[in-house]
Amino acid sequence: MREQDKERVLVEVVHRVFNHYTRDPHTTEQALFDTLYEERIRLETEKDRSRAKKQKAFYRKIYREALQASPTRQAELLKQVIQAFADEVAGHFDPRVFALATRVAPPALSALLNALSPLRLLAAIPTGMATLDDQIVIDGETEAFKAVARMGTTVLVSTHLSNLDSIILGYSLFRLGLPPYTYGAGLNLFANKMIGFFMHNLGAYKVDRRKKAEVYKHVLKTYAGYTMELGYHNMFFPGGTRSRSGAVENKLKMGLLGMALDAYIHNLCNKKPRPDVFVVPCTLNYQLVLEAETLIDDYLKAVGKSRYIIEDDEFSKPRRVAEFLARLFSLDSRIHLVVSNPLDVFGNRVDEQGNSRDHRGRIVDRTSYVRRNGAPTFDAQRDQEYTRELARSITEAFHRDTVIKPTNLLAYAVLDWVWEKCPGMDFYRVLRTGGPEESLPLTEAYNRVDRTLATLRDLEKACRLRLDESLKGRDTGAIVGDALAHLKSYHRRPALTRRGDRLFHVDRNLLLYYHNRLTGYGLPTWEKPQ
Amino acid sequence: MKKRGDLDVLIVGGGSFGTALATLLSETGRAFELWVRRKETAEEINKRHTNSRYAKGHKLAASIRATTNLDEAVKRAPAILMAVPSRSFREVARAVGDSIQGDQVLVHTTKGFEIETFKRMSTILREETCTLKIGVFAGPNLAGEIMAGHPAGATVASHYDEVIRTVQGLFAGSGRIRVYGGHDVVGTEAASAFKNIIALAAGMSDGMGFGDNTKSLLITRGLSEMARVGVALGADVFTFSGLTGVGDLMCTCASSLSRNHQVGERLATGETLEDILESMTQVAEGVPTTKAVQRYAESAGLDLPIVGAVYRILFEQADVAKSIEQLMHLPVGDELAALRYR
Repeated sequence: MREQDKERVLVEVVHRVFNHYTRDPHTTEQALFDTLYEERIRLETEKDRSRAKKQKAFYRKIYREALQASPTRQAELLKQVIQAFADEVAGHFDPRVFALATRVAPPALSALLNALSPLRLLAAIPTGMATLDDQIVIDGETEAFKAVARMGTTVLVSTHLSNLDSIILGYSLFRLGLPPYTYGAGLNLFANKMIGFFMHNLGAYKVDRRKKAEVYKHVLKTYAGYTMELGYHNMFFPGGTRSRSGAVENKLKMGLLGMALDAYIHNLCNKKPRPDVFVVPCTLNYQLVLEAETLIDDYLKAVGKSRYIIEDDEFSKPRRVAEFLARLFSLDSRIHLVVSNPLDVFGNRVDEQGNSRDHRGRIVDRTSYVRRNGAPTFDAQRDQEYTRELARSITEAFHRDTVIKPTNLLAYAVLDWVWEKCPGMDFYRVLRTGGPEESLPLTEAYNRVDRTLATLRDLEKACRLRLDESLKGRDTGAIVGDALAHLKSYHRRPALTRRGDRLFHVDRNLLLYYHNRLTGYGLPTWEKPQ
Repeated sequence: MKKRGDLDVLIVGGGSFGTALATLLSETGRAFELWVRRKETAEEINKRHTNSRYAKGHKLAASIRATTNLDEAVKRAPAILMAVPSRSFREVARAVGDSIQGDQVLVHTTKGFEIETFKRMSTILREETCTLKIGVFAGPNLAGEIMAGHPAGATVASHYDEVIRTVQGLFAGSGRIRVYGGHDVVGTEAASAFKNIIALAAGMSDGMGFGDNTKSLLITRGLSEMARVGVALGADVFTFSGLTGVGDLMCTCASSLSRNHQVGERLATGETLEDILESMTQVAEGVPTTKAVQRYAESAGLDLPIVGAVYRILFEQADVAKSIEQLMHLPVGDELAALRYR
């Protein structure tokens, strides 16, 4: 962010959020007291005591005064709270460090990722695979992405499986020759000190997801939206959090996503020369997922007990990250980033010339969607529906550009067999006990892999998903061997092991996790009872 | 700022319902045009103020102007009402899509599904045009009764409040139609398409000389099947108790003006489907809809005995009397089980 923009962003964010909550005295009062209540609850469990003490004193002072304050004074007090939130979100940002980071951070990030594996593990990596460039495959509509990034502001929205995603995305942007993206990074990303440092300097603003107050969320949204208006490319995960089940996201959070349209309409109203905001979906695809065990355990917890924020997962343990990367490197396992066709903020496809196209490929005047009697207008209800249309196009792109890996295929085939052997058995009991037979013949697994692969090939032909290169032109034995090598290693308990000519299912939860990538494509899949 | 065009609304389709809509709008003082495919129909409407093919015996208001230039007419109207049969819906929608822009409101009045794909009309509009502000207008609206000046009611359903407000506003000056609003597009479309199948069944019952008990049984159990299909598609079950559900069923199943009812009645008296359809100038939407719904029910594993019976009578030459007898011998269970325990 440019030096002159920093102050401007803070002022504008506070101004807009303040205006939103001061439409009438009742809204102001409610917003103020709700925020004070939510913050008090949060501070009761805040680990950093000195920080908590300072904040408690700040809120106590506001609370005492607010109780007897006039509506005008209450509005002023609310402004103080909004200012504090805005400072926290954007205030850590140092434009000088950012300018430096823009030049040096991406190569440094590459070094960092490699450095995460201890040297002796690096030494074990087969020759030619030691560099990150070979490790990450960037595919899809990269040229269209770069083209629209030159024409307007882009918002990169990605599927989300692991905390490594943001780092890989950051690195991929550098490889594509794009500048760093503004990114709202959760506090848990900062738990890893090394990565936290880079996060700060790569345009990331800090998002404290323990803060539940509506006003805080509004500050975050407004910050993202206003940076888009100023032309800063943004990046976020529209699913809101890492996919717990392992499935491709099919429900997105509308709040932040809606800011792309909001920024676009503001730009049109302000007659900006480059008003366009383009949304670029992308998928990240791994053979193994770093935090698979923690995520699927959380998914399987009883309703209401799952956690939105997980701070003690594999990502917070550098050794586990190192082990994970080393395993992927040594298995010649590539991470796939697939860039989908850029979209406009209404969900229409955008071509390399920046034209929106309808389903029939006809050019659409996208400004017309928000025009009323010739002038651009805001309409909250309409805009919410437009954002739903955008979300639909994004989830379609997510599914279409997901790369199915051998681990997904084998997990699906084996789990399908397990369930067939347990007719009428409770979902959780099948996962816990595995049913009456603990292993299946290898030939049975091969047959099922072949059958599933045939269906997947049809889906790929119909452009509904992508198959990993390793699933093409190889015999079934090689595919199963590849998947098995992944599934039996890295995780604390192997998901599957082979003994003689039989496959033993050891951790059904993990199998479920990798199998879930195939949900949403019309195949019979096993889902948690609601 | 300049407003789009000089029209308030364009009606696409000069069939019986398109003409009925035009008649209603002619009383509101709105500026509108009626797009028709045939030049001779346009000339007849503009010069003689009649539409002998679809509104026989009715004199049309002099303010009703017909055009055959779709591209130019679409560009002049901020709102478009599509009143074309399901079989030519996609083709006309695509032509509208060549000229329409995102600020325009597009509402259809077609009661049917696309047979090959089982797609709803709003889905086709989404695929064939760029506009997102899409809605459906439905309810117990027999064109003949509207032309005769009887009061009526309808529902306009859309995800967009602007679409609902626009359509309500268009008919606000008419004392002859009350237009309610709703957001359940899927339910409204499913109900208004499905009721034509039950109208065929009700016509068959009348043709067989059965009384009101039989017809009520068919209509009520038909409503249950309608709700099952709707809920499977994602509709709100309450929609089926509204104007587009119960309302339209009561109207179309009881009235001898209903085309679908007429087809059912004539089938029961021994005429063949081919002969009946050949003798009609207007489209009986229930016939293709039965095929589409039966295919969907088979693929989705839905139990729809009345739809199945109507399908076999229409397309497999099953005997009407025997089919009704078979329905009467099916096992019975909890009346509302299929909906209550979903």
